[in-house]
Amino acid sequence: MKGSIFAAVFVLTISATQTWAAETIWSGLVIADNVAQPAPVPTELKPIDHKLKQLFGYDQFQIIGQSTKTLTSGQEDWLAWSKYFTLQVNARGQSGAGYVLDLKLWKQRELLLETQAKLSTRSPLVIKGPQVGSGQLLLVLLVR
Amino acid sequence: MFMKTFEEKWTAWLDGKLSGKELEEFEASLPDKAAAEAEKGEAKKLGALLKEQLATHVLTNEEFFSHQLRERIAAVEAAEPAAGDTPATTTRWWTIPRLFWAGATSLAIFILCAFMVMREKRPSEQSQYLTQVLNARVDPAVSPGATISIFETKEEKVTVLWTEGLQSLPAEYAAK
Repeated sequence: MKGSIFAAVFVLTISATQTWAAETIWSGLVIADNVAQPAPVPTELKPIDHKLKQLFGYDQFQIIGQSTKTLTSGQEDWLAWSKYFTLQVNARGQSGAGYVLDLKLWKQRELLLETQAKLSTRSPLVIKGPQVGSGQLLLVLLVR
Repeated sequence: MFMKTFEEKWTAWLDGKLSGKELEEFEASLPDKAAAEAEKGEAKKLGALLKEQLATHVLTNEEFFSHQLRERIAAVEAAEPAAGDTPATTTRWWTIPRLFWAGATSLAIFILCAFMVMREKRPSEQSQYLTQVLNARVDPAVSPGATISIFETKEEKVTVLWTEGLQSLPAEYAAK
Protein backbone atom coordinates (compact mmCIF):
# COMPACT_ATOMS: atom_id res chain seq x y z
CA MET A 1 0.00 0.00 0.00
CA LYS A 2 2.75 2.44 1.03
CA GLY A 3 4.74 1.43 -2.05
CA SER A 4 1.78 2.27 -4.33
CA ILE A 5 1.36 5.72 -2.76
CA PHE A 6 5.08 6.42 -3.10
CA ALA A 7 4.98 5.35 -6.76
CA ALA A 8 1.97 7.56 -7.46
CA VAL A 9 3.64 10.57 -5.84
CA PHE A 10 6.81 9.87 -7.81
CA VAL A 11 4.92 9.66 -11.11
CA LEU A 12 3.01 12.86 -10.37
CA THR A 13 6.24 14.66 -9.48
CA ILE A 14 7.90 13.54 -12.69
CA SER A 15 4.82 14.56 -14.69
CA ALA A 16 4.80 17.99 -13.08
CA THR A 17 8.50 18.43 -13.86
CA GLN A 18 7.92 17.40 -17.47
CA THR A 19 4.99 19.82 -17.73
CA TRP A 20 7.23 22.68 -16.56
CA ALA A 21 9.99 21.60 -18.93
CA ALA A 22 7.56 21.67 -21.85
CA GLU A 23 7.16 25.46 -21.70
CA THR A 24 8.30 27.37 -24.76
CA ILE A 25 9.14 30.99 -25.38
CA TRP A 26 8.16 32.58 -28.64
CA SER A 27 10.35 35.51 -29.73
CA GLY A 28 9.48 37.64 -32.72
CA LEU A 29 10.67 40.62 -34.71
CA VAL A 30 7.57 42.43 -35.91
CA ILE A 31 7.12 45.33 -38.27
CA ALA A 32 4.02 47.37 -37.46
CA ASP A 33 2.64 49.89 -39.90
CA ASN A 34 -0.54 51.36 -41.32
CA VAL A 35 -1.67 50.23 -44.78
CA ALA A 36 -4.86 50.48 -46.78
CA GLN A 37 -5.38 46.71 -46.84
CA PRO A 38 -3.93 45.27 -43.60
CA ALA A 39 -2.86 41.66 -43.70
CA PRO A 40 -4.43 39.32 -41.15
CA VAL A 41 -2.74 39.30 -37.77
CA PRO A 42 -0.31 36.36 -37.51
CA THR A 43 -1.45 33.52 -35.28
CA GLU A 44 1.44 34.06 -32.92
CA LEU A 45 0.27 37.61 -32.18
CA LYS A 46 -3.44 36.84 -31.83
CA PRO A 47 -3.37 36.85 -28.01
CA ILE A 48 -2.17 40.47 -27.93
CA ASP A 49 -3.12 41.97 -31.31
CA HIS A 50 -5.81 44.18 -29.79
CA LYS A 51 -3.34 45.57 -27.28
CA LEU A 52 -0.65 46.10 -29.95
CA LYS A 53 -3.07 48.12 -32.07
CA GLN A 54 -4.18 50.14 -29.07
CA LEU A 55 -0.65 50.83 -27.81
CA PHE A 56 1.13 51.62 -31.07
CA GLY A 57 -1.68 52.80 -33.32
CA TYR A 58 -0.85 50.52 -36.27
CA ASP A 59 -3.24 48.22 -38.08
CA GLN A 60 -0.85 45.72 -39.61
CA PHE A 61 1.70 43.51 -37.91
CA GLN A 62 4.07 41.36 -39.91
CA ILE A 63 6.61 38.94 -38.51
CA ILE A 64 10.02 39.39 -40.13
CA GLY A 65 11.87 37.00 -37.84
CA GLN A 66 10.96 34.59 -35.09
CA SER A 67 12.11 31.74 -32.90
CA THR A 68 10.34 29.22 -30.71
CA LYS A 69 12.50 27.78 -27.96
CA THR A 70 11.52 24.97 -25.65
CA LEU A 71 13.09 25.45 -22.26
CA THR A 72 14.39 22.48 -20.31
CA SER A 73 17.04 23.88 -18.02
CA GLY A 74 16.03 27.55 -18.27
CA GLN A 75 19.61 28.37 -19.26
CA GLU A 76 19.21 28.20 -23.04
CA ASP A 77 20.41 30.78 -25.56
CA TRP A 78 18.82 31.48 -28.93
CA LEU A 79 18.43 34.00 -31.72
CA ALA A 80 15.55 35.41 -33.73
CA TRP A 81 16.69 37.25 -36.80
CA SER A 82 15.66 39.01 -39.97
CA LYS A 83 17.79 40.31 -42.80
CA TYR A 84 19.09 43.30 -40.84
CA PHE A 85 18.06 42.73 -37.22
CA THR A 86 18.91 40.08 -34.67
CA LEU A 87 17.37 39.49 -31.28
CA GLN A 88 19.78 37.64 -29.03
CA VAL A 89 18.27 35.93 -26.00
CA ASN A 90 20.24 34.41 -23.12
CA ALA A 91 18.09 32.72 -20.49
CA ARG A 92 19.44 33.04 -16.93
CA GLY A 93 17.18 30.51 -15.27
CA GLN A 94 13.74 30.32 -13.80
CA SER A 95 12.67 32.81 -11.16
CA GLY A 96 9.28 32.51 -9.51
CA ALA A 97 6.64 32.29 -12.21
CA GLY A 98 8.93 33.29 -15.08
CA TYR A 99 12.38 33.32 -16.64
CA VAL A 100 15.18 35.83 -16.35
CA LEU A 101 16.33 36.77 -19.84
CA ASP A 102 19.16 38.91 -21.17
CA LEU A 103 18.05 40.51 -24.43
CA LYS A 104 20.10 42.30 -27.06
CA LEU A 105 18.85 43.89 -30.27
CA TRP A 106 21.43 44.08 -33.00
CA LYS A 107 21.26 45.94 -36.28
CA GLN A 108 23.73 43.87 -38.22
CA ARG A 109 26.82 44.27 -35.96
CA GLU A 110 25.58 47.33 -34.12
CA LEU A 111 24.05 46.92 -30.66
CA LEU A 112 20.94 49.09 -30.50
CA LEU A 113 19.37 48.02 -27.22
CA GLU A 114 20.26 45.88 -24.23
CA THR A 115 17.93 44.84 -21.44
CA GLN A 116 17.30 42.25 -18.77
CA ALA A 117 13.77 41.14 -18.02
CA LYS A 118 11.94 38.59 -15.95
CA LEU A 119 9.45 37.16 -18.41
CA SER A 120 6.33 35.91 -16.66
CA THR A 121 4.50 32.88 -17.99
CA ARG A 122 1.29 34.91 -17.97
CA SER A 123 2.57 38.26 -19.23
CA PRO A 124 4.09 39.02 -22.67
CA LEU A 125 6.90 41.52 -23.16
CA VAL A 126 6.80 44.03 -26.02
CA ILE A 127 9.76 46.24 -26.86
CA LYS A 128 9.42 49.26 -29.11
CA GLY A 129 12.43 49.37 -31.39
CA PRO A 130 13.56 51.88 -33.98
CA GLN A 131 11.34 53.37 -36.64
CA VAL A 132 11.71 51.56 -39.95
CA GLY A 133 10.38 53.44 -42.93
CA SER A 134 6.82 54.44 -42.09
CA GLY A 135 6.50 51.62 -39.61
CA GLN A 136 7.97 50.48 -36.34
CA LEU A 137 10.07 47.53 -35.29
CA LEU A 138 8.62 45.67 -32.31
CA LEU A 139 10.14 42.82 -30.36
CA VAL A 140 7.65 40.44 -28.81
CA LEU A 141 8.36 37.67 -26.31
CA LEU A 142 5.75 35.44 -24.73
CA VAL A 143 5.64 32.14 -22.89
CA ARG A 144 3.36 29.48 -24.34
CA MET B 1 -40.39 21.37 103.28
CA PHE B 2 -36.79 22.57 103.06
CA MET B 3 -35.33 25.20 105.34
CA LYS B 4 -34.43 28.36 103.45
CA THR B 5 -30.87 29.57 103.82
CA PHE B 6 -30.10 33.14 104.89
CA GLU B 7 -29.18 34.09 101.34
CA GLU B 8 -32.51 32.80 100.02
CA LYS B 9 -34.40 34.68 102.68
CA TRP B 10 -32.29 37.81 102.03
CA THR B 11 -33.06 37.69 98.32
CA ALA B 12 -36.74 37.12 99.02
CA TRP B 13 -36.72 40.01 101.52
CA LEU B 14 -35.07 42.31 98.95
CA ASP B 15 -37.71 41.35 96.44
CA GLY B 16 -40.47 41.94 99.00
CA LYS B 17 -41.53 38.33 98.85
CA LEU B 18 -41.42 37.65 102.63
CA SER B 19 -44.53 38.18 104.68
CA GLY B 20 -46.14 37.39 108.01
CA LYS B 21 -44.23 35.48 110.56
CA GLU B 22 -41.40 34.71 108.21
CA LEU B 23 -40.87 38.42 107.58
CA GLU B 24 -40.90 39.23 111.30
CA GLU B 25 -38.45 36.44 112.12
CA PHE B 26 -36.05 37.48 109.32
CA GLU B 27 -36.10 41.16 110.22
CA ALA B 28 -35.57 40.25 113.85
CA SER B 29 -32.52 38.21 112.80
CA LEU B 30 -30.89 41.11 111.02
CA PRO B 31 -28.06 42.55 113.10
CA ASP B 32 -28.45 46.06 111.63
CA LYS B 33 -31.88 46.61 110.22
CA ALA B 34 -31.21 50.20 109.12
CA ALA B 35 -28.21 49.15 107.03
CA ALA B 36 -30.22 46.30 105.56
CA GLU B 37 -33.05 48.67 104.62
CA ALA B 38 -30.55 50.98 102.94
CA GLU B 39 -29.10 48.08 101.02
CA LYS B 40 -32.61 47.01 100.02
CA GLY B 41 -33.26 50.49 98.68
CA GLU B 42 -30.04 50.42 96.62
CA ALA B 43 -30.91 47.01 95.25
CA LYS B 44 -34.33 48.25 94.14
CA LYS B 45 -32.77 51.27 92.42
CA LEU B 46 -30.30 49.01 90.63
CA GLY B 47 -33.02 46.66 89.55
CA ALA B 48 -35.11 49.49 88.18
CA LEU B 49 -32.13 50.86 86.29
CA LEU B 50 -31.30 47.49 84.77
CA LYS B 51 -34.91 46.97 83.71
CA GLU B 52 -34.91 50.33 82.03
CA GLN B 53 -31.56 49.86 80.23
CA LEU B 54 -31.79 46.20 79.29
CA ALA B 55 -35.38 46.15 78.23
CA THR B 56 -35.80 44.92 74.59
CA HIS B 57 -36.43 47.80 72.28
CA VAL B 58 -39.33 47.00 70.02
CA LEU B 59 -38.73 48.32 66.48
CA THR B 60 -41.41 50.08 64.58
CA ASN B 61 -42.11 49.08 60.94
CA GLU B 62 -40.18 52.06 59.53
CA GLU B 63 -37.18 51.39 61.74
CA PHE B 64 -37.20 47.71 60.81
CA PHE B 65 -37.31 48.46 57.06
CA SER B 66 -34.55 51.05 57.36
CA HIS B 67 -32.42 48.65 59.36
CA GLN B 68 -32.87 45.87 56.79
CA LEU B 69 -31.95 48.23 53.98
CA ARG B 70 -28.76 49.40 55.69
CA GLU B 71 -27.73 45.82 56.35
CA ARG B 72 -28.35 44.85 52.71
CA ILE B 73 -26.28 47.77 51.44
CA ALA B 74 -23.49 46.97 53.83
CA ALA B 75 -23.50 43.34 52.72
CA VAL B 76 -23.40 44.26 49.03
CA GLU B 77 -20.56 46.73 49.54
CA ALA B 78 -18.58 44.20 51.51
CA ALA B 79 -19.13 41.46 48.91
CA GLU B 80 -18.30 43.52 45.79
CA PRO B 81 -15.84 46.26 46.56
CA ALA B 82 -14.13 46.08 43.09
CA ALA B 83 -17.40 46.17 41.21
CA GLY B 84 -18.35 49.22 43.10
CA ASP B 85 -15.16 50.96 41.99
CA THR B 86 -15.37 50.11 38.27
CA PRO B 87 -18.08 52.53 37.10
CA ALA B 88 -16.37 55.42 38.79
CA THR B 89 -13.04 54.53 37.16
CA THR B 90 -14.65 54.07 33.72
CA THR B 91 -16.40 57.36 33.97
CA ARG B 92 -13.17 59.08 34.87
CA TRP B 93 -11.10 57.38 32.09
CA TRP B 94 -13.43 57.68 29.02
CA THR B 95 -13.71 61.37 28.90
CA ILE B 96 -14.55 63.04 25.57
CA PRO B 97 -10.98 64.29 24.85
CA ARG B 98 -9.55 60.87 25.62
CA LEU B 99 -12.11 59.22 23.37
CA PHE B 100 -11.16 61.63 20.61
CA TRP B 101 -7.45 60.97 20.97
CA ALA B 102 -7.96 57.21 21.21
CA GLY B 103 -9.99 57.28 17.99
CA ALA B 104 -7.48 59.47 16.17
CA THR B 105 -4.57 57.29 17.27
CA SER B 106 -6.35 54.10 16.18
CA LEU B 107 -7.13 55.61 12.79
CA ALA B 108 -3.53 56.72 12.30
CA ILE B 109 -2.22 53.26 13.19
CA PHE B 110 -4.71 51.65 10.79
CA ILE B 111 -3.70 53.93 7.91
CA LEU B 112 -0.02 53.31 8.59
CA CYS B 113 -0.48 49.54 8.64
CA ALA B 114 -2.63 49.59 5.49
CA PHE B 115 -0.04 51.69 3.68
CA MET B 116 2.81 49.37 4.67
CA VAL B 117 0.87 46.23 3.72
CA MET B 118 -0.11 47.67 0.34
CA ARG B 119 3.42 48.83 -0.33
CA GLU B 120 4.78 45.36 0.45
CA LYS B 121 2.09 43.58 -1.52
CA ARG B 122 2.44 45.51 -4.76
CA PRO B 123 5.87 44.19 -5.81
CA SER B 124 4.92 40.60 -5.05
CA GLU B 125 1.81 40.86 -7.22
CA GLN B 126 3.91 42.42 -9.94
CA SER B 127 6.56 39.73 -9.76
CA GLN B 128 4.01 36.96 -9.76
CA TYR B 129 1.81 37.97 -12.67
CA LEU B 130 3.61 40.59 -14.73
CA THR B 131 6.79 40.56 -16.69
CA GLN B 132 9.37 42.87 -15.15
CA VAL B 133 12.07 44.79 -16.97
CA LEU B 134 14.99 44.67 -14.57
CA ASN B 135 17.22 47.05 -16.50
CA ALA B 136 17.63 48.49 -19.97
CA ARG B 137 20.03 50.71 -21.83
CA VAL B 138 20.75 52.01 -25.31
CA ASP B 139 24.16 52.84 -26.68
CA PRO B 140 24.45 56.65 -26.54
CA ALA B 141 27.05 56.57 -29.29
CA VAL B 142 24.63 54.87 -31.67
CA SER B 143 21.45 56.62 -30.52
CA PRO B 144 22.29 59.87 -28.74
CA GLY B 145 19.37 61.31 -26.80
CA ALA B 146 17.40 58.05 -26.81
CA THR B 147 15.18 57.46 -23.78
CA ILE B 148 13.60 54.40 -22.25
CA SER B 149 10.39 54.03 -20.28
CA ILE B 150 8.60 50.98 -18.93
CA PHE B 151 4.95 50.39 -18.21
CA GLU B 152 2.46 47.57 -17.82
CA THR B 153 -1.09 47.24 -19.07
CA LYS B 154 -3.03 45.63 -16.27
CA GLU B 155 -5.89 44.17 -18.31
CA GLU B 156 -3.85 42.16 -20.81
CA LYS B 157 -0.87 41.94 -18.43
CA VAL B 158 1.48 43.16 -21.17
CA THR B 159 4.75 44.77 -20.16
CA VAL B 160 6.09 47.37 -22.58
CA LEU B 161 9.62 48.68 -22.91
CA TRP B 162 9.15 51.94 -24.77
CA THR B 163 12.12 53.55 -26.48
CA GLU B 164 12.15 57.00 -28.00
CA GLY B 165 14.84 58.57 -30.12
CA LEU B 166 16.42 55.45 -31.57
CA GLN B 167 18.02 56.00 -34.94
CA SER B 168 15.40 55.83 -37.71
CA LEU B 169 16.07 53.39 -40.52
CA PRO B 170 14.93 53.22 -44.12
CA ALA B 171 12.05 50.95 -45.14
CA GLU B 172 14.36 48.31 -46.62
CA TYR B 173 15.29 47.31 -43.05
CA ALA B 174 11.84 45.77 -42.74
CA ALA B 175 12.91 42.93 -45.00
CA LYS B 176 12.60 39.37 -43.75
